[in-house]
Amino acid sequence: MSNLVDEAPGAERVALRAGGRRTVRHRMSRRGKKEAFYFWLFISPWLIGFVGFLLGPMIASVYISLTEWDSFTPPEWVGLANYRKALTQDPVFWKALGNTFYYALISVPLGLVIGVWLANLLNKRVRGRKLFRTFIYLPTLVPLVATAMVFKMVLAPSGPLNDLLGWFGIDGPAWLLDATWVKPALIVLSAWGAGAATVLLLSAMNGIPKELYEAAEIDGASAWRQFWSVTFPQITPVIFFNLIMGLIGSFQIFSQVYILTSGGPDNASQMMVPLLFREAFSFYHFGYASAIAWLLFVVIMVFTLIAFRTARKWVFYETEVR
Amino acid sequence: MQLSTPTPAAVGRKDRRPEAETAKRTLSAFKASPATYAVLLVVSALFFVPFVLMVSISLASDQTSAQNAFTVIPTEFEWSNFTSVFTATGLPVGRFVLNSVLIATLSAVGQVISSSLVGYAFARLRAPGKGVMFMIVLATMMIPAQITMIPQFLLFKELGWVNTYLPLIVPNFFTNAFNVFLVRQFVSRIPGELDEAAQVDGLGYFGVYRRIILPMMWPILTAIAIFTLTAAWGDFMGPLIYLNSEESMPLALGLQYMTSTSNAMQLPPWNLVMVGSILLTVPMIAIYYLGQKYLYEMNLQGGSAGVK
Repeated sequence: MSNLVDEAPGAERVALRAGGRRTVRHRMSRRGKKEAFYFWLFISPWLIGFVGFLLGPMIASVYISLTEWDSFTPPEWVGLANYRKALTQDPVFWKALGNTFYYALISVPLGLVIGVWLANLLNKRVRGRKLFRTFIYLPTLVPLVATAMVFKMVLAPSGPLNDLLGWFGIDGPAWLLDATWVKPALIVLSAWGAGAATVLLLSAMNGIPKELYEAAEIDGASAWRQFWSVTFPQITPVIFFNLIMGLIGSFQIFSQVYILTSGGPDNASQMMVPLLFREAFSFYHFGYASAIAWLLFVVIMVFTLIAFRTARKWVFYETEVR
Repeated sequence: MQLSTPTPAAVGRKDRRPEAETAKRTLSAFKASPATYAVLLVVSALFFVPFVLMVSISLASDQTSAQNAFTVIPTEFEWSNFTSVFTATGLPVGRFVLNSVLIATLSAVGQVISSSLVGYAFARLRAPGKGVMFMIVLATMMIPAQITMIPQFLLFKELGWVNTYLPLIVPNFFTNAFNVFLVRQFVSRIPGELDEAAQVDGLGYFGVYRRIILPMMWPILTAIAIFTLTAAWGDFMGPLIYLNSEESMPLALGLQYMTSTSNAMQLPPWNLVMVGSILLTVPMIAIYYLGQKYLYEMNLQGGSAGVK
C-alpha cells in the first residue's frame, strides 16, 4: 500500500539510513502520516454515520430483540423468547412470511419476464421506439404513494380494471377487499413498474455485437432461436442484477400494503415489514419487532445466497470465455 | 474490489452504432412485425391508463367524486380543483408541499457534501486500514434498513427529535455506502496527474478536493442529488414514523392522511387526492427529464444500480 515512489524523496533516504528497506515499508513517512490523517478526516462523516446510525443500532437491535421492551419501562431480558414466539406461536408471522414469499416470488420473475419481452420488442426496428419506451418507463417515476392512490381507484370493485375485464365477459373480483385476490392485486401494481427493468435490459441488448446475429442468421437460426442463443445469454448479467435487487426490494414491501390494504382482509396481505411496523409503532412491542427484523434479514440473506449460488449455472460473463 | 458491471459492452460499442443500425435491416431478429406494434400499443396503453385516470379524476367535480362515478376519459374539467386543493381539504396542503421541498432539498445537500468528501478520500488518499474500511462500506449495503429502524427511532426519540425533520435530514449528512461507492468509482477514473500537479503547486489535500476534484465531480453529484431528491420526496415510511402533526407532514404522507381522515360516512375527496398525486408526481418527472443525461451516465458507471 505505501509506495516508495510516492513518498517524499527525503523521507526515503532518512529511513534507509536508519535501518534498511524494511523499515520504509512499515514506518510511515511524515507525509504518509499526514495523508492518512486526512483520509480519516475526510471519511469521518461516513465513519460517524456508520458507528452512530448503523453499527450501534445493529448491536442495540440484537439486544432489544432479546428483551421485551415498550420503551417506557425498563427492558426485560427474555432470551430467545421473541424468536420462539415468531417461529412457533404467532400464526400471523407465518402468514406474513408466506405472503411475502408469494409476493416476491411471483412479482419479481413476472416483472423480469415482462421486461425481457418488452425490451426484445423495443430492440427491433420499431418506429416511435422512443415514444413507446417513454410510455413504459413513465410509471416508474411516479412516487409510490401516488401510485397507491391511483391503484386504489383502478382496483376498486367497479373500477377500470374490472370494466376492462367486463368487456371480455369476465366478472372481476373485489381485488383489495377479497382475500384470494388481494395479493394478485399487489402484483398487478408491481407489474406497472416493469419499465425500470425494461430500460436496463434494452440498453444491454443494444450492446450485443451485431456480428453474433449475422453469424446466427447465416447458420439459418430463426428469430426465436436467435433470441435464446444470442440475446438471452448476453443479457443474463442484467437479469441477474435485477433479480437480486428485485428480490431484496420486494421482501421489504411496505407502503403499498400499508396504504392499500393495511394487511387485510384478515391478514391475507400482511407482509413482513408492515407486520414489523405494526408490532413496533402501534403496539410498542420493540423486542418482538426487532426479532422479526432479524428474521427478515436472514430470509433476504438466504435468498441472495441462493441466487448467487445458482448464478454460476445460468449467468453468462463474457470475460469467462476469453 | 469491483462490483460487477452488467453492461460494460454497451460503453465501448457506442461508436459502432450507426453501422449496426443499417445492418439491422436485414436481420430477422430485428424485424418488427405488425404483432410487435400491436403488443407495444396495447402494453403502452395499459401502462398509460393509470395516468389518464389520475388526470380525469383530478378534473372531476365534487359531486362526481362523492358518488365515485369516475370515467377513465375525462368528461368534466374542473380546473378549480388545482387551487381548491390548497384550501378545501381542511389540511395545510401548501405546507405539505413546502415540507417536502425542504426535506428533499436538505437531504440532497447532505448527501452531495458528505458523499463527495468520503468518495474522494477512498479514491485518492492512502492510509493503512483503507482496504478494510472499503470492505465495510460494501458490506453495509447488504444490511436492510429495517434492522436499524427501531434503535434509530429510540435514539432520535431520546434526542427529542420526534416530530421534527431532523431524523429525516441529518442521517443524509453522514452519506450512505452506495453513494460513497459511486463517487469513488467516478473519481478513480479522473487522471491522477491533475492532483499531483496541483500538489506540486502547493495545494493541500483539501485544496485538491475543493479546487480540482470537486469541480470535476458534478455529473456524479448531480445524479446523487437527483436520487436523493426522488427518494426523500417519495419517502413514506420515514415521515410516518417520525412526523405526526399535520403542520410537519410532507406531501407523500399528507396525501395518505387526507384519505384516511375522512370517516366511513364520507368518502375521501378523491378528486383533490388525485390533484395531490399529480403535485407529487410532476416534479419527479420534471427532475428526471432534466437530469436524464447524468442518470444515464451513472447508470453505466454504477453497474445499472442507479435506476430504481
